[in-house]
Amino acid sequence: MAAKAGTGPAAAVGSARSEGGVPLRFGDDLLLWASWLYYEEGLTQSDIARIIGVSRASVISYLADARERGIVNIAIKTEKLRSLTIAKALQEHFGLKDCLVIPGEGGGRSPFESLGSGGAQALRSIIKPGDTIGVGWGRSVLAAAERLSVDGLQDVRVVQATGSTSAHVPYTPAACATAMATAIRAECIPISAPAIVSRRELRDMLVQETPVQEQLASLEELNRIVFGIASLRPNSTLYSSGFLNDTPKFRDAYSGAVGAIAGHYIDDMGRRIDGPLDGRIIGISLEQIAATPQRIAIASGIDKVPAILAALRGGFVNVLITDAATGAGILSADGREIQPARAAATPVPETGTALPARSSVKKFLNTPEDAVDEALEGAVAEHAAFLRPVRDSNRALIARNGPREGKVGLVIGGGSGHDPCFLGYVGRGMADAVAIGNVFASPPPGPIFDCTRAVNRGAGVLHLFGNYSGDVMNFEMAAEMAQMEGIEVSTVVTTDDIASSAAEDRSGRRGVAGNLFVFKVAGAACDRMMPLSQVELLARKANRRTFTVGVALESCSLPETRRPLFMLGEGEMEVGVGVHGEPGVLRQSVETADDTADLVVDRILSEMDPARGDEVALLLNSLGSTPLMELYIVGRRVRQRLKARGISVARSWAGHYCTSLDMVGMSVTMMQLDEQLRDLLDHPSDTPAFRIG
Amino acid sequence: MERISNADAGGIVAEIARVIVANKAYLSEIDGKIGDGDHGVNMAKGFGRTAEKLDGTESLDEAMSVLSDVLMSEIGGSMGPLYGMMFSGMAEAIEEAWEIDAVLFGDMLQNGLDEVKDIGSADVGDKTLLDAYAPALDAYRSAIGDGKPMAEALDAMRAAAEAGRDSTIDMIAKVGRASRLGERSRGVLDAGATSCSLILGTLAEGVKRRLDG
Repeated sequence: MAAKAGTGPAAAVGSARSEGGVPLRFGDDLLLWASWLYYEEGLTQSDIARIIGVSRASVISYLADARERGIVNIAIKTEKLRSLTIAKALQEHFGLKDCLVIPGEGGGRSPFESLGSGGAQALRSIIKPGDTIGVGWGRSVLAAAERLSVDGLQDVRVVQATGSTSAHVPYTPAACATAMATAIRAECIPISAPAIVSRRELRDMLVQETPVQEQLASLEELNRIVFGIASLRPNSTLYSSGFLNDTPKFRDAYSGAVGAIAGHYIDDMGRRIDGPLDGRIIGISLEQIAATPQRIAIASGIDKVPAILAALRGGFVNVLITDAATGAGILSADGREIQPARAAATPVPETGTALPARSSVKKFLNTPEDAVDEALEGAVAEHAAFLRPVRDSNRALIARNGPREGKVGLVIGGGSGHDPCFLGYVGRGMADAVAIGNVFASPPPGPIFDCTRAVNRGAGVLHLFGNYSGDVMNFEMAAEMAQMEGIEVSTVVTTDDIASSAAEDRSGRRGVAGNLFVFKVAGAACDRMMPLSQVELLARKANRRTFTVGVALESCSLPETRRPLFMLGEGEMEVGVGVHGEPGVLRQSVETADDTADLVVDRILSEMDPARGDEVALLLNSLGSTPLMELYIVGRRVRQRLKARGISVARSWAGHYCTSLDMVGMSVTMMQLDEQLRDLLDHPSDTPAFRIG
Repeated sequence: MERISNADAGGIVAEIARVIVANKAYLSEIDGKIGDGDHGVNMAKGFGRTAEKLDGTESLDEAMSVLSDVLMSEIGGSMGPLYGMMFSGMAEAIEEAWEIDAVLFGDMLQNGLDEVKDIGSADVGDKTLLDAYAPALDAYRSAIGDGKPMAEALDAMRAAAEAGRDSTIDMIAKVGRASRLGERSRGVLDAGATSCSLILGTLAEGVKRRLDG
């Protein structure tokens, strides 16, 4: 459960702070940050210079600028705080009515003091005459109440949201409500009963008592409620206050809980958890909180991220007051990345600071959800000379010059994101049709079946694709459908990726760039009108003799998330990476091109075990973003090694052949040739991405 | 005997779709640790599209069939067929029924599970959705067998699905993309088991809410 709210993502945000740069979580407003530290936290200009990482002169100019631009008007305007990137992101992501994010870093004050100041500031603009405000309890709520002072509001009532406790802490329910009422000169309605009683019957009796009954009734009239959110860490207010018994049995009952609101436990989705407290709480119910028009939560702390997220998901909060680190943690835990700060409009720190770490990858996209269809639309137009849709969908494409009477049909396919794999290999001499899935996901059976039926010319069809469980399942279903129509279908899966499984488990390996060679051999065999059984045997043979190792320097990122799939450290590379970003066999420090080539060649040759005088076909493949220049450098070393081993490179290609979106990395593929394979490799082919003869 | 009306229960599928769509980013994030990070995106696509097609008047089996069709015909990947077959199996078990009682609900779960096992190649313990599904069904069955009320059995089912999901943390993936990672797949939740526990949990909740009495 805790994994959901993830310390991981939160930590990632924390680490996104590049040394010397503006921390992401302060949004894009350096002026605001400096002003906050100076006017609200009372730091000196030198301290601020140190914290922000700029010279004192810059701080002075920030502050001057801030005054000039009206950010500083003795008090910092709440508007400016709201405008913080994180606040905006939180508001948008969770559909909040309002959100206030305290910069919250720097300054010697405790987090509660800072949060209290922010909370007071927010409440000052929120509370209106005639309000009935429920007040929860906790350190944050009390801190806000203590810093708040509003005069001249008429007819305001403050209602203690939960019953009382005998806890020896300053922030009991009664203390919080009293402090709030005093701060805004409001009438205070306490709850004259314990927050939790020992038995249900006792509760049922107590709430019948006239004063309690009347007090509780006023909870129905709330138009706002201010409350804290409790985490379940051992030193949480919830336990340290003596509000609850911290016994193992009790904790067990609420093991699924990530937090609590007004004494009610909730799970990670904000759902109530039933337990021993049921029917024993006197005070506001979760339903009553949810029904209150304005629900203001004041809470911060990285340890509270899961609890706050749960409260947001459960709809218990529509105004959130938190600090920047917590806000960033919440967003991150819910999968939302914050756009990085752009400091260009503000004074640029004078030293050579690092660029802020990018968390969102730039791409040429319209709507991410449309990326696959739009790319296919473009590709089909681009390669119209070679292929066309089988029917009305670009998810099943057939070669214009491919299928013919008596020829085995070759159907390939796979997920999108590997261009020019797979549609680039459709045309005379290679595949007759291709079925295309979503990004990195196998096509469903429908398009595969459409392809199969369309290329069948009485000699049967070969299904040829990379070995992934999704592809295997979908192609299998399509094959069954085709067989029901009397179409003979054979299947070969490519398994050239050495890193994906041990040599003994060849059939468990995945198919990567070696696809090219296997497609080529099988396509040539089809084009030469060989029977299905022989095409299948040759495809298997080509696959058996093809070996690939990939190395990634940077992760790819999916169109829909624009976030790296995995993170490689500054000086790290991943050896044996898959074309979907699957982790490889080892992660090690980045080597020179030659050392990397050696590593790859060693692995390939140890599996291939060639004899002197053998020939190979070589494929130097970019995984997306690695330029040809680097492929040439690596290829140079690969050739040196092969020469030293007495192996000749009979045929070779370098470029983009089987990519992984925008991954920075390359793969090296070798197919051990014999007369027959070389002959089939040399057979003419004419496809968008592979032409021979 | 406790039961729900088939005709009135189609809304459960919309509820499941909502939960899956709401957890899109979460599921993708889990998947990204040992898979390719698209589980949430693909699931949300399939379930979201289903929700658009439902108008709220469907019976439970009809709504499940719509979901199955979308998953099977539009989603692809491995989750398309697996969940597609699961829901078609469930729908098949109840399509003749006016009412779904405790026994039929168990049969429905069983049929869904059988279909998943049939099309996939995994066993319990392989770090897949089966690790949430199988214990959930067992827990439901044994609660009913012990004569517990259906609501309690549904709670047990949900709890077991969640426990099953959590159990995948310590497992090594034996099938699917993550299987190539061997030992490195340990320590991470399985995305399929996670989405499955969301699905079964929401299903259990939805049925529980609709129980008469």
